[in-house]
Amino acid sequence: MAATWIRPPTRPAEIDTLVEGVDRYNPSNVQYLEDYLYQQTRERQYDCLANLAILKLYQFNQDLYNSDVVINILLKALTAAPGPDFSLCLALIGDRSVRAVTRPVSNMATDYFSVHQPYQTTDEPDPLLPLLPELTKLSELLMTCRFPQFWSIYRSPELAPLRDNYTVECVGFEDAVREVAIRAVRQTFRRIGTKRLGTYLDLEGSELEEYVHEQGWVLDGSNVVVPPNADNVVRSTVQNEELKLPQLAKIIAHAQMA
Amino acid sequence: MAQRNVYEQELDEDLGDNLDFAIGNYVQSGAPGLYDDQVQLDQATLAAMQMQLAQQQALAGVPDAVKRFIVHFHQSIRDGNLAEISLAYESGWNRLTEKFYAKTEWPEAEIISPLVGDDPIFLILYRELYYRHVYSRLSPNIDDRFHSYENSCELFNYLLNSDGPAPLDLPEQWLWDIIDEFIYQFQSFCSWRSKVANKNEEEIVMLIEGTQIWSCYSVLNVLYSLIQKSQILEYLKATQAGETPEAVAEIVGEYGTRSLYRMLGYFSIIGLLRVHTLLGDYTLALKVMDNVELSQKAPLARVTACHVATYYYVGFCYLMLRRYPDANRTFVTILNFINRMRQYHTRSYQYDQVNKTGDRMYALLAICSALSPSRLDDNIMNTVKEKYGEQYGKMTQGSEGLPAFEELFIYACPKFIAANPPPYENEVQLAAWQEEPPADPVTRHLALFLADVRAQDTVPTLRSFLKLYTSLDAGKLANFLDADEEELVQQMMVMKQCSRSLTRPPTSAGSLLEGEIVTTTDLDFAIEENTVVIAESTVGRRYGGWFIRNIEHAQRVFDSLRSQPLPISKTPAATAVPNGQTEKSEAPAAQPRAAAGRSGGRAAWGATNARRVEIEA
Repeated sequence: MAATWIRPPTRPAEIDTLVEGVDRYNPSNVQYLEDYLYQQTRERQYDCLANLAILKLYQFNQDLYNSDVVINILLKALTAAPGPDFSLCLALIGDRSVRAVTRPVSNMATDYFSVHQPYQTTDEPDPLLPLLPELTKLSELLMTCRFPQFWSIYRSPELAPLRDNYTVECVGFEDAVREVAIRAVRQTFRRIGTKRLGTYLDLEGSELEEYVHEQGWVLDGSNVVVPPNADNVVRSTVQNEELKLPQLAKIIAHAQMA
Repeated sequence: MAQRNVYEQELDEDLGDNLDFAIGNYVQSGAPGLYDDQVQLDQATLAAMQMQLAQQQALAGVPDAVKRFIVHFHQSIRDGNLAEISLAYESGWNRLTEKFYAKTEWPEAEIISPLVGDDPIFLILYRELYYRHVYSRLSPNIDDRFHSYENSCELFNYLLNSDGPAPLDLPEQWLWDIIDEFIYQFQSFCSWRSKVANKNEEEIVMLIEGTQIWSCYSVLNVLYSLIQKSQILEYLKATQAGETPEAVAEIVGEYGTRSLYRMLGYFSIIGLLRVHTLLGDYTLALKVMDNVELSQKAPLARVTACHVATYYYVGFCYLMLRRYPDANRTFVTILNFINRMRQYHTRSYQYDQVNKTGDRMYALLAICSALSPSRLDDNIMNTVKEKYGEQYGKMTQGSEGLPAFEELFIYACPKFIAANPPPYENEVQLAAWQEEPPADPVTRHLALFLADVRAQDTVPTLRSFLKLYTSLDAGKLANFLDADEEELVQQMMVMKQCSRSLTRPPTSAGSLLEGEIVTTTDLDFAIEENTVVIAESTVGRRYGGWFIRNIEHAQRVFDSLRSQPLPISKTPAATAVPNGQTEKSEAPAAQPRAAAGRSGGRAAWGATNARRVEIEA
């Protein structure tokens, strides 16, 4: 579980070398990582640590910053719920999230002339700024398993810019959200009302049936039966005490001294 | 040459501090005939003479004890006598600081330079201590901050870019402190730099021109260079693979075989852990620790401060990764260690620091165990409740506990830093920045943490209800809680998620990020359509801890009884009163020398001795 998160099997060897080594700090490598991100959005892959490496480069080199990339990273992280990915990303981009002014590209550390440059914002306002609260809200809804509310906000007219410009490019985004819901349901339910499941997945009728079958779940009247797994089978147990040797270290040491 | 003098003087004024100025300066006044402008020359010579004189006077003003200490310290370092260096470093320096420099700087390196034959390496090390003292006791100004950075660079340059390994040996404690202090000064600089309001014009100019100073890249560069030079990663891998010492020596090369480099490299890894945590990159922080074994047998345990710091940062990263069981385990392990250590180290100069970090870890432990209740070490949990019982109580109540989470988090979190300075180079942007400053790093990370807490704030209430039943209708439960049934079912899913956590098995050797999903709760449930089925894992009665505590207690009683003096049968009155006063008054008669040593403790001890003698007689 953790192993594939640390190093997804889909990660190319070159990217792995970048992420694992000191080359991850080299600003000229950001292109490779960004290309890899777009590969992830096209091919339904996900590599959290590689994406965090991009954000790390942005953190240190503000001139590299590309808001489209950041938004795509956040969309990817969103569907990793209930993992901490989204907030790990926010922790790295937080530096700028509240700033209304984007810095002009030219004020690199070495450019002393920028002191005399007139006040300027970049040509377009940073598209991340209006989207960030929305994305955060969506993440919160997924974290708290409020799936029906997620769908209604996600489909709302206010979020049209997000859908039209970003999630549309992120292949399988909606399915990835459904995966989040499926994970939560699989853990919690043995049997769930079809209608309720439909609101979680934003699916109805034959689409829902098909989706349920894909999961290997069975329709039973107005219910869906979730096959037993380690999390939805509960058993009462009695745990017995185990003493470990270090706990007795003091006593044994004392016995030696005496 | 006169030109150069003037330049140097200007530089001197600029920096407000003199950089190796005195040494080459007065030699230049040797050829007066070359100059037409006698007045200017005279001034230059005069300045040089004055400088020299001032330094001589300053040196004369240094107390003799300090002079002797410096000469001795220098000699110990030249001899590579680790025991003497440690003594001077850990005890001598601090004692003299208390006595002479509690509120002022130590003499500048240039002043004491003649005492050590202008030994450049010693002077770098001396400045390292000099600035550390400024940071810890006084308030460093911008020059101190810049110069301490330059001095650190000089030190690392010397270590990394000399021909071959530097012929220097320092105690491990000091090596740790060098890395630790380097990062501390970096962190201190970053937070000072981010406060725009109190900067004067001169400081702003210096900040604009000195963007390289204390930059993230420069700090990371130092740490990575030390890691590379020392081949510490290769060393750790080779020793883990069980290679022979000869093979290891072969692998790590001429630098890595020297303990100075090996330990600096090792501590640099821990340094990276800290820097990445301060910058909010928790996964990378844990990742750099991939080859470092976390145990009391690992090299990190050789320096207590390093041992404690490592566990603090690792535990904190786990907390931010929501791996509460891992965080709990990390904190409990190190807090147990601190408790054991307390018996031996009370007078160590780091004792306070270790204790402070310990207190912060108790607070973090309170947070983690409130978020993921589990059975932890009784002793440690008792201390948690002693120290933070009130907050702990609130935190286990769900949403009402938010202020308590906030309070403890702010108290116990690392001092986060922003990677980038305010836009000092652009006045207009700077004004915009000041008008609407970005949230400071602590606030940002606090907000992220509180979002995690808020996401699971209904869990404690649900839990307390479920505990009462073995099966329950979801609608009925919703009624109890005055909630909508659909909403309740969603909360149940959250509760389920919170009861599963990624955990790294304590015995595994791999990366700290590895782990498996485990159940962290004793109360599990599943929903069958609309019925909640609940199962509780109960824990059998525990005797072990109780017996261990009481055996230990009995041992302590036994020990203290045994160390007591034997009662004296001849004078029953005196033994009946264990009060030091009676003993002391009795001491002079028994042994006059004991009374001469005036201090209470010694007198009492003398008295005991006297009594022993008496008995033996």
